[in-house]
Amino acid sequence: MNSQALIRVIATREFMTRIRTRVFAITTALTVIAIGGYILLQAYVFNTSTSSLEVGFVGAAQSISAPVRAEAAGFGETINVHPYTSAAAGKADVQSGTLDALVSGSGAGTTMMVQSKVDLTLETVLNDVARGQVLDQYLTKHSLPPSDVDGQLAFSVSVNELSPVNAARVEQIVIGLLVAGVLYVTMVIYGQLVAAGVIEEKSNRIVEILLATVRPWQLMLGKITGIGLVALVQVVLIAGVALVLASATKLVSIPTLGIDVVISGVVWFVLGYLMYALLYAAAGSMVSRQEDVASVALPVTLMLVAAWIIALTVAAPDPGSPATSVFSFIPLFSPVIMPVRIAAGVAPFWQVAISVVLVIATIYILVAIAGRIYRNSVLRVGGRVKLSDALGIAPSGKPVV
Amino acid sequence: MLELNHLTKRFGPLEALHDLSFEVRPGEIFGFVGANGAGKTTTMRVVLGVLEADSGSVIWDGSPITFAARRRIGYIPEDRGLYPKMSVIAQLEYFARLHGVVRKAAHEASIALLERLGLADRAKSQLQSLSHGNQQRVQLAAALVFSPDLLVLDEPFAGLDPVAVDAMTDVLRAEADAGKPVVLSSHQLDIVERVCDRVGIINHGQMVASGTVAELTERGPLRFWVDVPGAVAGWYDGVPGVTLVEQDGSRWLLQLADDAGEQAVLQKALTLGPVHEFRRERPALTQLFRDVMSGKAVDE
Repeated sequence: MNSQALIRVIATREFMTRIRTRVFAITTALTVIAIGGYILLQAYVFNTSTSSLEVGFVGAAQSISAPVRAEAAGFGETINVHPYTSAAAGKADVQSGTLDALVSGSGAGTTMMVQSKVDLTLETVLNDVARGQVLDQYLTKHSLPPSDVDGQLAFSVSVNELSPVNAARVEQIVIGLLVAGVLYVTMVIYGQLVAAGVIEEKSNRIVEILLATVRPWQLMLGKITGIGLVALVQVVLIAGVALVLASATKLVSIPTLGIDVVISGVVWFVLGYLMYALLYAAAGSMVSRQEDVASVALPVTLMLVAAWIIALTVAAPDPGSPATSVFSFIPLFSPVIMPVRIAAGVAPFWQVAISVVLVIATIYILVAIAGRIYRNSVLRVGGRVKLSDALGIAPSGKPVV
Repeated sequence: MLELNHLTKRFGPLEALHDLSFEVRPGEIFGFVGANGAGKTTTMRVVLGVLEADSGSVIWDGSPITFAARRRIGYIPEDRGLYPKMSVIAQLEYFARLHGVVRKAAHEASIALLERLGLADRAKSQLQSLSHGNQQRVQLAAALVFSPDLLVLDEPFAGLDPVAVDAMTDVLRAEADAGKPVVLSSHQLDIVERVCDRVGIINHGQMVASGTVAELTERGPLRFWVDVPGAVAGWYDGVPGVTLVEQDGSRWLLQLADDAGEQAVLQKALTLGPVHEFRRERPALTQLFRDVMSGKAVDE
C-alpha cells in the first residue's frame, strides 16, 4: 500500500468524522447567517445610494429631467425618470414609496417633494440644474449666447495628487484585507483543530496502534489533509454565500474581485494552511492533555497574529511600500501579506512566484522538522516533551511509558 | 517464526532490555510474564517497530523484519486505544482499510468478526457506549480485522471477567491453530499456565526462564508429598539429602537434594506402615514466578 493511499484513508476518516459533526453544521450555518445578514443589512438599510432613484417630473419640470439624469450619472447615481401630468398623482406615488422624489416647477421655483429623507446627490444635482436654467434665461435676456458661456466654463481645476488615492484602489485593498483576514482566521481555527486532533489521538492512546501501521509523517499529513479539506469546504460555502449575496445586492462588483484574487486566495490558503498546520501538529504532539493545547499552540498562533497585525498596519496603508514587500517575502508572513499586495495590484508576478517557492521550501523543511518532533513526542505521555528531546538533539532521559 | 535476538534498549540510565532473546513458532501461543517495568511492553514495542532497539535484531521468517511485515502484525497495545466517538463498525473498517483491505472486503471482515465476538448487535454503537469488556473485544477485533500473520498482545486479559477471558482464549487458540505465532503478556499467571504453549519469564529486561509450562515447573525444587499414618517425627532422617518442608497431619512434604533417590524415601516410608500417597509436588507457575523474581531460581 503506497503512502498516497494510506494518507487518503487517514484523511478520509478525518474529513468524514468532522464534516458530519454538529459543531461543523452549527458554526457554518451561524457564519453564513451572520455574513448574509450583514450584507443584506448593508444593502437595504444603511446604503441606498447604490440603487437607482425613481424620480417623477411634473409639468414644467419635465424639461429638466434629461439634464438632471445626465448630471446625476456623472456622480455615479442612476435616475429613472417618470413623467407626470398631475401633481396629485405624483404626490400619491411619493407617499406610497413608488417614487423617491417628485420634481415640479422650473428655475428658482423648482420644488422637490420627498417622503422624509432627501437624497443629497439628487438635491445637489437639482440645485445645479435649476441654477443653470436661471443663468441661461438671464444670459439670453442680455443677448449672450449661453453656449458661449458654457464653453468658457467648460474647464475644471487641475489637481496634482502627491500621493494619489483612487476609489478603485481602496476597494482593492479592502478586498485584499478581506482575503487575508479569512485566511488568517481559518488558519488559526483549523490549525488549532489540528493540534487538538493530534492530542486527541495521543490521549486516546490510539496513536500507538496507528504508528505500528503507518509512518508518523503519513499519519500527520493525513490528519492535516483531512482537516484542511473540512476548512476548505467551510470557507467555500461561506465565501460562496457571501459572494452571491454581495453581487445580487450589487454591494461589490465581481470584476473588482478579480479572478486572480480568488485563485491566489485559494493557493495561499492551501500553502499557508499546510505550513501552519505542520507547526500546530508538531506543537500538539508535545503535550498529552487537551487542556494544554492552547499553551503549546500559542507561539504558533502568535506568528499568525503578528502576520495579521503587519497586514493591517503596514500592508493595508501602503501595499506598495518596501516594508510591505519585505514582509511579504518572509514565508511565515507571506500567506497573509501577499494577498493584500496581489489584490492591490502591486505584486509583480515574479515576486509572487518567488514567495510561493519560498513557502513551498519552508513546507518541505517543516515536514522534516515537524515529522521529527511528532515522531519523538507522540508516544510520550505525561508532561510536556522538551523541545530538545522532541527534536532528538539531546539524549532522552525518560523512558517511554 | 518470530525470533528476537539479543535485544538491548536503554532509556538514559535505565537498561530496559538486556540481551533479550526468544522465539515464537507458528501455531504457538507464547506467554510473556514479568513484574511491572520488567520490559514486556518495551519488547513488544520493539517488535512492532514503535520503538527502536539499541542493538539486537527482530527476525521474521528468517530475515530482519521489515515495515511491510510489521504492518501484518495484529497488535493490542498495553494502553488501549480506539476512537471513543466512532462507531464500532466504522472503527474496524478503518483499521482494515489502513492495512490495505479494500472497502467492501473491509466491511465484510468487520461484520464477520463482530459476529464471531458476539458484538454484531453493537456494530453501530459508539465505542464509548460499550462496557469495558466489550471495548476490549473491539480492540481484539481491530487487531484481527485485516487477517494478520502474527499476533502481539500486551495484557489482553487485563480487566476481563472469566467468561470474557474464555471467549478471548478461544479466539487466540483458533488463530494459533491457523498457524500464526501468538505472543501475549499477562500478569494473570493462572491464565498463562492454562492458555500458553510456552512461557518466558522476564526480569529487569532479561529472560530468566523460558520453556513449556511443564519444563519450567520441572526446574523447581524436587519435592514429594508422603502420606504415612504410622510415621513419627524425623522418620526420614536416615535418608541423605532429605529435609522437611511442611507437615500436615500424617502428610509430609519432603524436599530432596538432587542426588537423593525418591525410591529410598519410599522404601523407608513403607517400613513404617501403609503409604497412602506418594506424589511429586510441582510448583504452580505463580510459585515459580515468585521464586524467579526473588532470585531463587535463575536461568535455564
